Amino acid sequence: MALALSTVGFAFLAGAIIISSIGKDPLEAFYWLFQGAFSPSAIPETFIRATPLLLISLGLAVVFTARVWNIGAEGQFYIGGMMTAILSIMFKDVPAPLALPVIILIAGLGGAFWALTPAILKTLYGINEVITTLMLNYVAIYLVSYLLHGPFRDPISMFPETETINPALWIPIVIQGTRLHLGVLLAFLVAVPLAYLFLKRAVFGLKLDILGSSPRTAQYANINTTRLIIQAMLISGFLAGLAGGFEVLGIQHKMRLDLSPSTSPYGYTGIAVALLGYLNPLLIALTSFFLGGIINGSMTMHRMAQVPVGMAGIIQALIIIFVLMSYFVEDKLSKKIMGRLKL
Amino acid sequence: MITTEVALGLIYSSITLLTPILLAGLAELLVERSGILNLSLEGTMLMGAFVAFMVAFYTGNLSYATLVASIAGAVLCLLFAFLTITLALDQMVTGLALNLLTIGITSYLYRASFGWYVSPIPPHIEMTLHPIDIPVLSQIPIVGKILFNHLPHTYAAFTLVLLSWWLLFRTKNGLKIRAIGEDPQTADYLGINVNLTRYVLLVLEGCVAGLAGSLLSIGYYNMFLDNMTQGRGYIAIALVILSRWNPLLLLGGTFLFSFVDAFQLRIQAFNVPFLSYQFALMLPYLFTIILLLVAGRKVKGPASLAKPFKKLR
Repeated sequence: MALALSTVGFAFLAGAIIISSIGKDPLEAFYWLFQGAFSPSAIPETFIRATPLLLISLGLAVVFTARVWNIGAEGQFYIGGMMTAILSIMFKDVPAPLALPVIILIAGLGGAFWALTPAILKTLYGINEVITTLMLNYVAIYLVSYLLHGPFRDPISMFPETETINPALWIPIVIQGTRLHLGVLLAFLVAVPLAYLFLKRAVFGLKLDILGSSPRTAQYANINTTRLIIQAMLISGFLAGLAGGFEVLGIQHKMRLDLSPSTSPYGYTGIAVALLGYLNPLLIALTSFFLGGIINGSMTMHRMAQVPVGMAGIIQALIIIFVLMSYFVEDKLSKKIMGRLKL
Repeated sequence: MITTEVALGLIYSSITLLTPILLAGLAELLVERSGILNLSLEGTMLMGAFVAFMVAFYTGNLSYATLVASIAGAVLCLLFAFLTITLALDQMVTGLALNLLTIGITSYLYRASFGWYVSPIPPHIEMTLHPIDIPVLSQIPIVGKILFNHLPHTYAAFTLVLLSWWLLFRTKNGLKIRAIGEDPQTADYLGINVNLTRYVLLVLEGCVAGLAGSLLSIGYYNMFLDNMTQGRGYIAIALVILSRWNPLLLLGGTFLFSFVDAFQLRIQAFNVPFLSYQFALMLPYLFTIILLLVAGRKVKGPASLAKPFKKLR
């Protein structure tokens, strides 16, 4: 844990060097970064940024535990968002208590469907899921782009986006005067404990763990690996789709092409969150809050200190690399200590 | 209408589009034969595209631009090599992280230099690389124009296909590379320097991939765009799997892929009413998946691919 925190420190140190290299003051930049991220007035927005990251990375924790690499959360997120917008427009007159759960559920299923093809290709044909999930991200975004330029474009908007969804279908706001909606609470208070139980306390999590650490052992333990991998992929796709649904119904209130921030897309940043959180749902909740803050704060940093927002992406990438390095250091340290104790 | 002219144009542009992917793919192929899966290929190409553009923009010299792009690619791959070979970190995750890093760095430096969209027209360079006519051969009717009027990189890429095939399957060094990829432990016992070989191949890959990326910004477009590689690095990796780690088959695969890519550009240009341009843009990615499904089923790669190697002696 202390090691994980120091990796963040290292990432910021490297970030400071990159900021000074363009002649800006890193201290001033980081001051605004933290103001924009964790000052009391910024915290609700940070929670809002953290929610899609949290849902996506909880799902990724599930597949990554089995060492199956779903890199397609970005596409699954967009499909979930698009499904939500389409359904909300089609059923705009259905009462919200009836429509909302169904729409949100189908958003998740859309994401799961998008993850199904790579899962089948991997399990039945042995095709590398990294490549297929990545390719499907591009396909998803072009598909959404087509729908937003074509059939679902709001005719009176200047941008490729859908019409605004009927306010009756918006996810209710929890704290008045902010954009903090019920979905944020659900993600932090329901999804996190559920994911924790599933991964750390249920047989399902144990099976994933066995498959992840040794596929051969999984075979000896009579685990149906094909079914397990498909289940894990479906869950991660479902959560990414759900994240898209929450984002559309809770925050944007319409589907747009920049549903994900371009320099730190939620789907890819979620990978960083899942790894930095050591695939543990509780740590992931903490990490997504932290990285959500960095994305949020990078906008303030850009406005006040003229440091380009690409910085957020750089810091995230550095954090992943340093966390991986900390695994290495941890390994070395534990060996050294073991050696001293002559165990 | 499909006239001969259209068909020939299609083949010509396929060969043009094929060059960066073939170059990057060949380099990755050799690296994968030695047991390393380098997903940061995508980021390396992006870095090449960015650095080449910046150097060309500020110096106006395309040779410098090419050279520096190559060096930048090598540096990035050296970093990958350090993280995955020396520190034995997970290759897949490290590669993806480096890609995020390059997307961040390139977009950051681009904006630090040019500001936040100064004008609707992005900054661009005055000149791009020129195709070279090969004397005599380019005079051959039809074939001459299609095959012998390309960038020097294209000729280099085709030569490299043969060279890397020869290296891999006809030389002692190639045998060593393949041995490392299959069983690094045994290779190590036989006195082959596993890590050094992998380092060398990765740095070479960086040079070539940086060069391949530079083609995008200073060869085809005269500007740099955020994330302009658009997954070409990943596609190159998919094609390597598809080609069963054989340079000759890789040439075939990249040609097929680029043909689809050139075709989708035509569709866009013709503006077919019922076919939106987004579907055209999707084609190459869908095609990659379909190709993998058709030809990439359960192909067995080098046995130690993407597994960290720890010296036991």
